[in-house]
Amino acid sequence: MTNDRRRFLGAAAGAVVTTGAAVHQLRPKHFVNYRRPRSLVAVLTCDSYSEKIEELLLDGLKLFSLDVREKSVVLKPNLVEDLPGPVNTNPVLIGAAARCFLRLGASRVVIGEGPGHQRDTELVLDAAGLQHVLRGSRVQFVDLNRDEVLTVRLKAHYSGLRELWLPRAVLSSDMIVSMPKVKTHHWAGVTLSLKNMFGIVPGMKYGWPKNLLHWAGIHESILDICATVPIHFVIADGITAMEGNGPLQGSPRDLGKMVLADDPVAADATCARLMGLEPTRVKHIRMAGDFLGNLDERAIEMVGDRMPEPSRPFAVLPVFSYLVRRSS
Amino acid sequence: MDTTACGVARILANRQLAWGGWSFTGSQQTSIEATCLSALGLAWHEEASTALAIRYLVDSQRADGGWPAFAGDQEACWTTSLALCTLTAVNDASDARERALNWLLSQRGKEGHWFWRWKFKTVDRNVRFNPDKYGWPWCPGAGSWVIPTAFSVVAIKQFSVCSRSDESEKRIQLGVEMLADRACVSGGWNSGNSVVYGVPLPPHVEATAVALLALQDEPRSKIVHASVNWLESRAVEIDAVSSLSWCILTLFVYQRRFEELKRRLAAVVGDGSAIRNNATLATAVLALRCGEMIHPFMVLQ
Repeated sequence: MTNDRRRFLGAAAGAVVTTGAAVHQLRPKHFVNYRRPRSLVAVLTCDSYSEKIEELLLDGLKLFSLDVREKSVVLKPNLVEDLPGPVNTNPVLIGAAARCFLRLGASRVVIGEGPGHQRDTELVLDAAGLQHVLRGSRVQFVDLNRDEVLTVRLKAHYSGLRELWLPRAVLSSDMIVSMPKVKTHHWAGVTLSLKNMFGIVPGMKYGWPKNLLHWAGIHESILDICATVPIHFVIADGITAMEGNGPLQGSPRDLGKMVLADDPVAADATCARLMGLEPTRVKHIRMAGDFLGNLDERAIEMVGDRMPEPSRPFAVLPVFSYLVRRSS
Repeated sequence: MDTTACGVARILANRQLAWGGWSFTGSQQTSIEATCLSALGLAWHEEASTALAIRYLVDSQRADGGWPAFAGDQEACWTTSLALCTLTAVNDASDARERALNWLLSQRGKEGHWFWRWKFKTVDRNVRFNPDKYGWPWCPGAGSWVIPTAFSVVAIKQFSVCSRSDESEKRIQLGVEMLADRACVSGGWNSGNSVVYGVPLPPHVEATAVALLALQDEPRSKIVHASVNWLESRAVEIDAVSSLSWCILTLFVYQRRFEELKRRLAAVVGDGSAIRNNATLATAVLALRCGEMIHPFMVLQ
């Protein structure tokens, strides 16, 4: 009798656990879908960070039917550390982008970033050369690590975080432009427009680094953030990129490309292909393809230059060797 | 206080919110970090502002003894260490300090749990660190990092200088060992990752300065010497106000030359009006007053 009871209780507990796991798996993980039938991507050739970049970028932006008139635009570059090398999005490109959006009629352009490791944002801006760009311009910089924050329910539940405090400067803007530096990344494989959005999470709440997101899962946190704060446009700095042990200690790689896109997943997939990496093997890009944008090349329309093949794949840490495309 | 520091302190005082706190950059959202640093920067010179700030701090302490990062946040975090340092500096007589100490002693980095210690010792060894040496996280649920650990060590050392419990002693020791474990290979500290995938990462100015403040009364080890030397050499290169200010505050404690750095800081800060970040402005006031007041992060032996 006792054995029967034990067996019954064991079976019941097993059934509860199995049902719970099944319910957890079946429960929807995202409550938005930003995928459109087609996405536009432009790969622009640009060999250096010269003054010519502004006209090139403006011509590139005109390939998209962007209406930014009277809109407030937040440019979110990737400004990480006061280190030498192609660690940060180049300030010449950031300044050019700011002026282009103003020329296209934006009412306000703000550059916003919350560096993930370095607490002294001014030190990063000095090292990145952005102070020079900001001087005398109509463009303001907002330290997203210390801006006023509001609590926001997440529109995807991959990380289990449910809600985050996010900066008002980002939440109140009409348009978010992610401006990543094209780099390999020692935790995420690559850091492109989606991963770049880690920088909107305020350090004053989550610290330096924003370690709670790492414990909740880097890929999962990226998906939750990008579902909640959609990226409207991407300008990726792949002119001088970084390969190897990125995002801080890697080597410069002259890719000579800027990638513009109206879809962050299409942008990241294209950047990864330019890097000679397979985007479907990067977990957050693959999962983002379900609801944040288009991953499939057939749904990505190239405007401007034809999609070039990389001369050789980007060097990656051995742990990420599976990312390298077989055909490359 | 010289005229530059007086003028900057007055600007800081004018930015105080009606209820006694300071926001980071002009909003109405009180930041505990900005409030603590501002209260310390104005202490003994702007008495009304300081008194209002201290009353705000005491009133905003949570029932569990901790402080959140900002007003409206429902979770205590690393700012508790800064609040404890502030209340100790002004010799606050309420029981707020005792409750803050108890909160700090109840917190640990997530790797302090046996499961995560086991994971970081066996499976996940990409970052070189000893998970047995844990400190304090920025916020509950995260791992230990250098700056929150260093401020917690300073706060506990300052508050318990006259009578230290075994628990306080143990956590101070563990915190000091954690800082030693996380030091960068050739000196200094960054956020807390010294070597990743076998590659040494470079130090940060502020993390190094704050970590050295936590170690000021410890034996001067090789890593401490190397770190002070690194900070001293780096300080002459930087114009960023917050980092330069932390350099001055730390080099003063280690009896290194800082007067020239103070002159340079005064030149960079100007009248202070261009510095939007109140925590930075307050740190600059502390640095400009360094040597003319009781150092708020000094640990008595």
